[in-house]
Amino acid sequence: MTDVARSPELITVIVDGRPVQVPVGTLVWDACEKAGVFVPVYCAHKKLDPVAVCRMCLVEIGTLPKLQPACATVASDGMEVRTRTEKVREFREGNLEFLLLNHPLDCPVCDRGGECDLQDFALRYGPGRTRRAITTKVHFNKAVRLSDKIVLDQERCILCWRCTRYYDEVTGEKELVLQERGVHTVVAPFEGRPLQSMFQGNLPEVCPVGALTHAQYRFRARPWDLRRTPSVCPGCSYGCNLNIDTRETEVVRFASSDKPEVDDGWLCDRGRYGSGDLNRADRVRSPEVRLGGPGRSMAYSEAIEAAATALASVISEHGRERVAVLGTPLMTNEEAFVLQWLAREVIGTPHVDHQLLPWTDLSPAEFSLGIEEIEACDAILVVGEQAEATAPVLTLRLYKAERKSGRRVSRVPGDIEAGEAARRIAGASRVGVISHERDRGLAAQVAAIAVASGASVGRLTITVGVNGRGCKDLGLLPNYRPGYVATAEVGLHGRGILEGCQSGEIRALLAVGPNPAVEAGADLDRACAAVQLLIAITPVRDAFWRHAGVVLPGRTIAEKAGTVTSSEGRVQTVRIAVHPNIAVPSEVGLLAGLGACLGAARPAPTAPAAVLEEIRTAVPSYAATAGGLRAAWGKLR
Amino acid sequence: MADDLVLTRLVGRPGVTTLEGYERVGGYLGLRKAVTLTPEQIIDEVKSSGLRGRGGAGFPTGTKWSFLPRDVFPRYLCVNADESEPGCFKDRYLIDELPHQLLEGVLIAAFTLRVSHAFIYIRGEYRAQRELLDRCVAEAYEAGLAGRGILGTEWDCEVIVHGGAGAYICGEETALIDSLEGLRGQPRLKPPFPAIRGLYGSPTVVNNVETLSNLPFIVLEGGAAYAQRGTAASPGTRVFCVSGHVERPGNYEVPMGTTTFRDLLQKAGGVWKGRALKAMQPGGGSMQILGPQHLDVPLDFKAVADAGSSLGAGALVVMDQTTCLVDVAKRLVDFYHHESCGKCAPCREGTYFESQLMHRLEAGIASESELATLSDICANMDGRCFCPLGDTATWFVMSAYRMFPDEFLAHCGAGRCPVRAARPAAA
Ligand SMILES: Cc1cc2nc3c(=O)[nH]c(=O)nc-3n(C[C@H](O)[C@H](O)[C@H](O)COP(=O)(O)O)c2cc1C
Ligand code: SF4
Ligand code: SF4
Ligand code: FES
Repeated sequence: MTDVARSPELITVIVDGRPVQVPVGTLVWDACEKAGVFVPVYCAHKKLDPVAVCRMCLVEIGTLPKLQPACATVASDGMEVRTRTEKVREFREGNLEFLLLNHPLDCPVCDRGGECDLQDFALRYGPGRTRRAITTKVHFNKAVRLSDKIVLDQERCILCWRCTRYYDEVTGEKELVLQERGVHTVVAPFEGRPLQSMFQGNLPEVCPVGALTHAQYRFRARPWDLRRTPSVCPGCSYGCNLNIDTRETEVVRFASSDKPEVDDGWLCDRGRYGSGDLNRADRVRSPEVRLGGPGRSMAYSEAIEAAATALASVISEHGRERVAVLGTPLMTNEEAFVLQWLAREVIGTPHVDHQLLPWTDLSPAEFSLGIEEIEACDAILVVGEQAEATAPVLTLRLYKAERKSGRRVSRVPGDIEAGEAARRIAGASRVGVISHERDRGLAAQVAAIAVASGASVGRLTITVGVNGRGCKDLGLLPNYRPGYVATAEVGLHGRGILEGCQSGEIRALLAVGPNPAVEAGADLDRACAAVQLLIAITPVRDAFWRHAGVVLPGRTIAEKAGTVTSSEGRVQTVRIAVHPNIAVPSEVGLLAGLGACLGAARPAPTAPAAVLEEIRTAVPSYAATAGGLRAAWGKLR
Repeated sequence: MADDLVLTRLVGRPGVTTLEGYERVGGYLGLRKAVTLTPEQIIDEVKSSGLRGRGGAGFPTGTKWSFLPRDVFPRYLCVNADESEPGCFKDRYLIDELPHQLLEGVLIAAFTLRVSHAFIYIRGEYRAQRELLDRCVAEAYEAGLAGRGILGTEWDCEVIVHGGAGAYICGEETALIDSLEGLRGQPRLKPPFPAIRGLYGSPTVVNNVETLSNLPFIVLEGGAAYAQRGTAASPGTRVFCVSGHVERPGNYEVPMGTTTFRDLLQKAGGVWKGRALKAMQPGGGSMQILGPQHLDVPLDFKAVADAGSSLGAGALVVMDQTTCLVDVAKRLVDFYHHESCGKCAPCREGTYFESQLMHRLEAGIASESELATLSDICANMDGRCFCPLGDTATWFVMSAYRMFPDEFLAHCGAGRCPVRAARPAAA
């Protein structure tokens, strides 16, 4: 009986003779996909509303005399869809002839050659001959500079309207418009103004052809020369999935990869065009020991031994608590876990952190709201500008919540009074409060007011760096061990460590770089110069590298294997996209080696995968996160 | 038979383009009667009149009105005065001669449909007509026939005249709505239909000028009186715009069904210069060609459809024996190429391809195989475009080719137009 009650939700559609069950309201296009039948589309896009302008998807439906657009027709029960008839075949052929009529056919020099839907469909469904010799082509501008990031080739445009709809529906910024009429129609920037959007890099990806191009990537590579590695955007802690496209040892571009729960298919420009940072020229290539003399390049094992010996002598002379350990939010979970082990279990110091700001008064509520759950909140309050400035793709999720689900999104400055901020969400029963970790104090107050008034409240706190959340979860903090187990003794936090270096309270510093969160602090250089012993593990020539007594080359995120945890607690995998050109041990290996030389009672595993196993045992909330799931938040102890 | 007339019976009465002159001959009595009736009663009259839309598609007006969802407000009425169909000039005539008759019809429809705003969307080039309508609307406001508390009732309705910017596609009802909203005038995806979600997302009725100009008569005299004219299948009268090779081109109101093409041609003085009829195009530039063999077909929706064409927007373009059909087709194809809004690929690129081929053909430089290409292209457009503009861009040329294949063939490789070459020098 219950089954019967549930079944009206599903209808049966027959696609090329094959029945398939789909929910009421499904588009014919999606029903075809479900039946395993491919329908070529240009204007249709999974993230955009249908417009049915390109006509590429026309199919036969039931007894209707005219071909119908699969992308815009809602399926009905018993509907019969035919995609392989002579009528459909002839039309596809003819429509491709139309689309190619005024197309420049410059595939040999086009960025998209090899990954272009026009090329692909012309090959699969096209006429295989040309009759256009009897017509003259209409010519357009081949390089319209829309901004410093995007160049438009109007001649290659097939007028699918995806880019204009992207701006209308996804970002709401409406920076691109259609101008002129008929065969003279072009896509152009609104009133000729350069694009300002933070999300322009998605345009070349929504474009089905090579009309919208990345200025950064234009004419730089052919798709078949690239190697693709799925990874996570290192730009911030939001956790957008992406693909790292490399050519030899160079990172050529970041391409988005749809993770509906997180990025919904989009990247921000800071993240996407940050790919260039991974090709920095100022790399640290070999270990160097400079203790009391000019720098000497050494083998890894020797440099690790030299570092351990120097560290041991500081410990025996001044004591364990005069040593500090500073990680970075760019470390993987595995590295962070081993680093805090090195600090606490081997060196025996409480002074360990990964950022400058102290992290106190932690409550599990801080991380209770998942990105996907934002759309289910009646009202959403963004506290302070830093959250969206740090994680721009969040803005797209908020716009979607407003536009698609009619949610109320309010934004308040970070210095507003809590009661006033809470008034913005008054009356809502499900509330989302979002802030950067810098504004977590105010966010907590606002949330408390909302809870007191009977609302159910979820909070999302945007953490610093790609793995700021993981560093915290795994105890790279002076006041918490892995899993937020409070420490008996509270050590110095990041700023305290730097001050200690200057005052002489800290005699030796083991630092992992680069650390954007710490570099922002002005005293870094002075602290590094002042401390008696500095051991640095860093891939680039940063402040740590400049002043270190022992330097061990680190890896960039594109060269690492492991996991990182996003602000919402999603534990996601990063993979090695670029193999370092020399035999560099992983940072987990370096740290484990250092621990062994310092006489660790129990050796640490040297392979990231083995470390992750240990993490899963040590931190219960990480037990069931395989496959990119959110860390289920256990009770704080 | 002046009694048979509905739309043009008051044309030429002294001062009839002013409110005073129009009221002197019984103007606005229809509206005065309408406000004493219920909307349902008026809809019943319109249904019993059998009135079908005069904008081209011929959709029954009363039925269209009943699609509005109950109790959803605000609602809007859009008056389609975009008249851009090649060969059509009846709406302009009806505005020029009887602007208040249109306005009265608009107000009757507005009252019946309980709309708060009626927009008259008028073709951009009709500047004089727009100014005339502006003046008439002002007169109506002044006299309490529009605006607040019309005719002393509780009913309010604003009437706004809006000039288009010169695009044929803006006559298509959803493109008209987009244009009115300040967007690019391009057709919208249907469903939802305007009756459900139209102007500013609200239920909207779009009606043609001539359609609405019939309402004062229908309300005053009753739907039955209207239906007495014409035949049961095609009731009422229509204004036909007769142009081309006739002695007296102009607008002629005739009863439908009982009048034939021959009668209409005769009213316009027959084919000019005593020449023979070669072809005629009813309905406007979009419709299929007919020949002398169709002269006795009555002006009836179904009879004309059976003959392979349509009454469309009520035009008749007459072509005498010296006409080159390839030339005519080329001009019409150029029109559609120029007016294609560019939204969908088959129309945008197809009309361009068509136009290039027709120019080659007309100049006598096309090869015979290009005729097959032309047929192919048209087959790929017809029924596959986003809106009827692209579909109909193929109808005339294909019907002309079917009716005069030899003439098309004779152009191929001829190096010039053989029809023009054969004309006597003085013609
Ligand atoms: C390309 C195109 C152009 C049109 N132009 C006009 C026009 O100029 N005037 C008009 O009344 N209807 C025009 N129509 C028809 C309208 O879409 C609509 O059917 C009509 O205004 C409805 O009014 P009616 O029901 O009173 O006929 C056009 C349709 C198409 C597809
Ligand atoms: S630029 Fe690309 S996305 Fe935009 S309309 Fe043209 S083909 Fe489509
Ligand atoms: S058929 Fe297509 S391009 Fe042509 S007018 Fe209609 S929507 Fe525009
Ligand atoms: S994909 Fe359906 S019309 Fe473009």
